[in-house]
Amino acid sequence: MAESGPADMACYVLPLACPVGAGGAATGPGGAGPGGAGEPQEEFPPKAMLLGHARWFCRIRWVVIAALLLFGLVGRSPEAMAWLHLRLPGLWPLVTAGVLTLGNAFFRARLGSSARPAGSRAVLGNLWGQIVVDLLVLAVVVHFIGSTETYVAFVYLFHIVLACVVLSRGQSLLVTMLAIVLYGGCVLAEQRGLIAAQTVFAAPPPAQAGAAGTDRVALNTLSAMALWLAAWHLTSRLCQLVRRRDIELARTNRRLLAAQAERARHMLATTHQLRSPFAAIAANAQVLREGYCGELPQAVVPVVDRIIARCHRLAGEIQEMLQLANLNSIGGRDQPVVRVDLAEVLRWCLERVEALAQGRAVTISADIEPAEVMGVQDHLKMLLFNVIHNAATYSHEGGLVRVTCRPQPPGGACVTVADGGIGIAEAKLPHIFDEHYRTVEAMRHQRESSGLGLAIVRDVARLHRIGVSVASRLGAGTTVELRFPVIARQGDNVRLQ
Amino acid sequence: MAYLMIVDDDEDFTSALTTTLRAAGYEVEVECDPAAAMEKMEARTPDLAILDVMFPEDASAGFALARSLRQRNDALRNIPILMLTAVNAKFPLGFGVHDIDEGWLPVSDFLEKPVDLRLLPQRIEALLSK
Repeated sequence: MAESGPADMACYVLPLACPVGAGGAATGPGGAGPGGAGEPQEEFPPKAMLLGHARWFCRIRWVVIAALLLFGLVGRSPEAMAWLHLRLPGLWPLVTAGVLTLGNAFFRARLGSSARPAGSRAVLGNLWGQIVVDLLVLAVVVHFIGSTETYVAFVYLFHIVLACVVLSRGQSLLVTMLAIVLYGGCVLAEQRGLIAAQTVFAAPPPAQAGAAGTDRVALNTLSAMALWLAAWHLTSRLCQLVRRRDIELARTNRRLLAAQAERARHMLATTHQLRSPFAAIAANAQVLREGYCGELPQAVVPVVDRIIARCHRLAGEIQEMLQLANLNSIGGRDQPVVRVDLAEVLRWCLERVEALAQGRAVTISADIEPAEVMGVQDHLKMLLFNVIHNAATYSHEGGLVRVTCRPQPPGGACVTVADGGIGIAEAKLPHIFDEHYRTVEAMRHQRESSGLGLAIVRDVARLHRIGVSVASRLGAGTTVELRFPVIARQGDNVRLQ
Repeated sequence: MAYLMIVDDDEDFTSALTTTLRAAGYEVEVECDPAAAMEKMEARTPDLAILDVMFPEDASAGFALARSLRQRNDALRNIPILMLTAVNAKFPLGFGVHDIDEGWLPVSDFLEKPVDLRLLPQRIEALLSK
């Protein structure tokens, strides 16, 4: 977008359309609306879908070939055909099966492998080739089975409906017209005596009375064609509506993903921008506190300490607020769900809490067995860290925190974190998972907390369907029990709720 | 006297850092631009580099600088890197000390801001003595 301006000055023209996923909100006053200049135009049918349809057609065609082969082989047996009251069909079923086999092998080979699929145009050409060959072969089959005497011509309807599903409305109309021309041509040629009318039935057709018979055939043929057109109209219209909805959904999904990516970038910047000033204030306050700018008066020292402590607390709160916001966002729920060993996560958490525990002379006793669960590793770290951190924080000095982890056959796990700390009054227990809720006892014991830790625990537990129970008695301590659900079988599609 | 290069665009923060580290006996140079810092480090190899992650022009310039240091000459490739950043957890977006690996985050140690400046000289000494 850089242009050369007057006097060789670099010039930049701000693009008014906001490209999806390239910074800025995906929608908004300056954003492009549906189908606007900023939106990529959808290719229809999409290549992947087209390729899938073309391959599916090839698979279905093997069934048709098998049916023709079976009919051709049974048709070699006069007894079987007499029992079925059918005429000997001759070689046409085997010949058409052979032609379809060669065609099918050719079309399948041209579609390429999964690793190296054919290009969009090649796939569309392939699909059209399949359709034309199918319709031509069907014309032959219809002729030999009986174009006016049987209902075999309605097989064309399958092709018309499938064309409506996989092709655009105009293209499916072309297929319909091609079917009409081939069928009409076949009937006309038979009626004019250019080719002899055929039938599969052993008994001869009832005699038609001259012109009246011809009129009846014409009426039936035209009625069939009219029915095909009606079927085309209704099916293609319905498919068009579904397709529009699909495209709109795909577009919305792309916008959503772009908005998530943008939000993630924004979160990153916000975290940095909010925490950095506190880091700078804390660092400079520490410079003062350590006396690098001269000795501080005694009365000033606790003030500077409070500044430092508050900076650390605010930085931590910002982190927790962002974690909580992310947990409740779609992006936060879209984290990869993997097999996680709780023992490993617990050890990670214990390392992080170690400094706090040592500072408060709290002993942490860990009795941890390996236990695998399914979940988002970072979510589980947040959950367990907050529970253990709380236990260490609200223990009395010199207290003990017991952490246990046990696998629960047939696949769940149970983690308990017990402390002998300040405890929680029964009436207050239902509120402890609310954002920013803190009991008076907790406030008195430890001022420096955001009250968001257990809200994070609540949200992670709900996302992962982890059962959380808290048993507590004021002044006697608290035990948190976490029951992880039975592990999903390998290969199950596990998603957060 | 060990020579330390600090690459961080937050002047208020680096000012405090410099004061503390100089008082602890280090020779300290500060650079706010990662590209200029690389030039300076190529001209004179520091004993240790302290890097921030996010810079105004590039949200991950600190990562890029750490990676390019590891691809330079032997002297630069082997210097200890201490990363300091305000984004301190892999979730939602950042990373932690457990994410240090040679490919993605090739640093020697990681500290989150706000930093306890009293502990910083100990961490630096530990890295220098490795």
